[in-house]
Amino acid sequence: MSVTDYVIRRVLIVIPLIIGLTLVVFLVSHMLPGDPVAAHLGQRSMEDPAIVAAFRQEWGLDQPLYVQYLTFLKNLSQGNLGVSIHTKQPVMDDLGRYFPASIELAVTAVFFAILIGIPLGIISAVKRNHPVDHGARVVSLLGVSAPVFWLALVGLYVFYLRLGWLPGPGRLDTGMTEPTHITGMFTVDSLITGNMTAFASAVRHLFLPALVLGMATAGLVTRMTRSSMLEVLSSDYIRTARAKGASEGRVIIQHALRNSMIPTVTVIGLALADIMSGAVLTETIFAWPGIGRYAFQSTVSLDFPSIIGVTLLIAVVFALANLVVDITYVFLDPRLRTA
Amino acid sequence: MQHSTIKRWSMLLIALAIVAVFAAACAQQPAAPAPAPQAQAPAATQAPAAAAPTQAPAAAPKATEAPKAAPTSAPAAQPTAAAKAAPAGTGNQLVVGIAHDLTTLDPGRGYEIAGGLAHKAIYDTLVTTAPDDITKIVPSLAEKWDISSDGKTYTFNLKKGVKFSSGNEMTANDVKWSYDRVKGLQGNPSFLFSTIKSVDAKDPNTVVITLDSPDPALLAKMTFMAFAVLDSKTVQAQGGVTGADAKANDKAQQWLDQHSAGTGPFVLKSWTKDNEITVEKNPNYWGTPSKLDRVIYKNLPQSASQKLALEGGDIDIALELNADQTKALASNPNVKIVQGPTTDIFFLLANKDKSMSPKGVMSDPKVVQAVELALDRDAFKDLSGTKSGVPPTIVGLGFLGSWDESKTPKRDVAKAKQLLADAGYPNGFEVDMEYPTKFNRDGLDWDTMAQKVQSDLAEAGIKVNLKPGDLQTVLANYRAGKEGFSLWQWGADFPDTNDRLAFLPEGIVGKRAGWTNATSDPNIQKLRDQAAVETDPQKRVQVWNDIQQYLMDNSPFIPLIQPNRAVAVSNKVSGYTFNNQFLVQPLLLSKQQ
Repeated sequence: MSVTDYVIRRVLIVIPLIIGLTLVVFLVSHMLPGDPVAAHLGQRSMEDPAIVAAFRQEWGLDQPLYVQYLTFLKNLSQGNLGVSIHTKQPVMDDLGRYFPASIELAVTAVFFAILIGIPLGIISAVKRNHPVDHGARVVSLLGVSAPVFWLALVGLYVFYLRLGWLPGPGRLDTGMTEPTHITGMFTVDSLITGNMTAFASAVRHLFLPALVLGMATAGLVTRMTRSSMLEVLSSDYIRTARAKGASEGRVIIQHALRNSMIPTVTVIGLALADIMSGAVLTETIFAWPGIGRYAFQSTVSLDFPSIIGVTLLIAVVFALANLVVDITYVFLDPRLRTA
Repeated sequence: MQHSTIKRWSMLLIALAIVAVFAAACAQQPAAPAPAPQAQAPAATQAPAAAAPTQAPAAAPKATEAPKAAPTSAPAAQPTAAAKAAPAGTGNQLVVGIAHDLTTLDPGRGYEIAGGLAHKAIYDTLVTTAPDDITKIVPSLAEKWDISSDGKTYTFNLKKGVKFSSGNEMTANDVKWSYDRVKGLQGNPSFLFSTIKSVDAKDPNTVVITLDSPDPALLAKMTFMAFAVLDSKTVQAQGGVTGADAKANDKAQQWLDQHSAGTGPFVLKSWTKDNEITVEKNPNYWGTPSKLDRVIYKNLPQSASQKLALEGGDIDIALELNADQTKALASNPNVKIVQGPTTDIFFLLANKDKSMSPKGVMSDPKVVQAVELALDRDAFKDLSGTKSGVPPTIVGLGFLGSWDESKTPKRDVAKAKQLLADAGYPNGFEVDMEYPTKFNRDGLDWDTMAQKVQSDLAEAGIKVNLKPGDLQTVLANYRAGKEGFSLWQWGADFPDTNDRLAFLPEGIVGKRAGWTNATSDPNIQKLRDQAAVETDPQKRVQVWNDIQQYLMDNSPFIPLIQPNRAVAVSNKVSGYTFNNQFLVQPLLLSKQQ
């Protein structure tokens, strides 16, 4: 089976998965205790039955559940996710506004995680039980176990307040005009439009939240890389490579690293999907309007259309991430191409 | 082999390049306190040219209305006016840190704290509250007013020569149009207009408001920004309509989210959702101009970030700090903490409906009194970290005719036990107490408060089982009147004693405690009906005195505390005056650069 066939088959499997998911999310969110009317109308407005009835009618909440679900499916088939009860904007537009901020953050965070995690993992596998290895393990343990909100606050305290190297919360400096909306990612948009002032500001603001999220992932990446490297380094073909006189650097990079990358790639792919689908604590502390904040707001206000919209988006992100990870396996390990 | 080596090297180069970009960008502006003025310069110079085009595409998702907004915004000439007011980069700019809770900046639709702050800067109402006392009504766009002897007709004389930021003259017609619009929109603030029968423009400077029945709280309600006077010509041109079907036909929200049409000291320059609301000085302002050129309301949803941003100099005022953060900032020489009373009240609800608690225990007035005496309410003050009050009744502190703290009963556990024995519970009883969590109000922690209630009542022999729940879940039970015993909070909808009619029989909260006409004493019903319509201040004090006397022995509500609110203000800012309704009054403020 060619790689293309494989990809097509994988994508087709995702479709029924997502339809099933909409049904589950729809049922669960509507069965939660709590009344969306109470969440959106003020206490005094709630007293007026006419206002409550008008609200239910406006948002289709007066219809039986199956009618609401069928309407939702019909809209979905036309690419319409409905209108958010909270923001009163189409959910599609809301996602288009919040998601790019999350992508920007997630990609940069994972970049940091790779940059820190893989070299650290390699070094600690090669220098096993050496003080360097212990040091690397402490760093990775810290990354994995320190709560992310704590890292975020400490990061702000040290780099923003004490040292003054990095800016405070937000995506841009206060009062700065947002770059023209093209992708919604400020770093990319400002580069495209040549707005270098905004670019510098966007990059500086992105650095710390991405580093904080990247630290947590870096911990995992280090551990994964280390353990699979250790396994590979003790295998026969490595000994053969050494016996043939290959230099140590070549043995590690060329022979061992590539073969030990599969578990690491899995971790990285899932971490990317995870951060993209919302890192609510980090987003809140850094006033970063990402998908996590949107999901949180939707949930607390029982905003059904947005809850379903966000869930679908997250499902698609995870499905895609898994797909990309699987395809990467194929490139890393040629044996999988025929499997 | 050759190929893969090149690939590897190129990957390494790309990675290095990205790191270099970060390093370069970070090195560019090394000092943190500097960014504010530095950032201001590029923003301001780009403002006339870039602000309009960048805003339009940013708002482009709402494609249907975009074409309409673009051509009409030109005649309104907002951007140029704004640019004139703030010459490039030299502006005196104030930054306020607040959690953005708003979904619109249309004063007829919005009813949120952050939106209200921005409205205070860009709109005016006929009357407002005194800068330092929200129970005192003072003139704003109205010069004076008369109330008819039956309390049903209010006649307002408008200030002459007031212009909107567009340059249009403000007349009685604008007032009528603005009020009719909010009434028709049936949005969240429309309830404030419920007693108003009609609004008429008698002549260009006289507005007559006729009520269905006397409403002693009308002037207090009119201080809310839902009563903002809008430039009717401008808003109509943007799709604003009045009338019964305004809810369906009014299309002005989109425009009002990005522009202003008011008489206030500032005009709205931009609102970037979840980021910043920026207002700039109104060159056509009718009063003494503001000393500030620009105010930015910056979204900082986390109180810890607000504290850091204030210390780092990114913001000048932090509005939502919790008790610990306020304490920590008290020793910072660059920050002053300003406190003032809120109109919020935390209270316990004991349902009068016997079926709501085991054996109807909470419906017994003796039990409620025992609970009240068992609570160490002075200790509750410490939980807020601010100077809070413990009101004697649910009527609260600081309103016309409301009692002061001296009448609050002191803790007396022995007497509480005696009352329980008299009620038939010599060994105490067990009861569930529901309360909301993860819902920040006045920087207080609900769990801590609930645990304090639990431990205080345990001393009198009452075993309280805590039942915390997500806000929306417990709110549904509360509103349906299904809680036997619970902990809640109420924020006044308008700064007047009559706000607390909600807690009397058949009132919104009264009903939640099973207190209806059927389950209550005719005496309190009579007092309630008097208070609802009495407009003479002397008689109001008398009626509310009788109500409070009655509540001391028979209320299903036990007030815990009325917290103070703490606002942290940078020492660079002078003129800050606490007003719980308008937490930032930009006209009073100046900032040393």
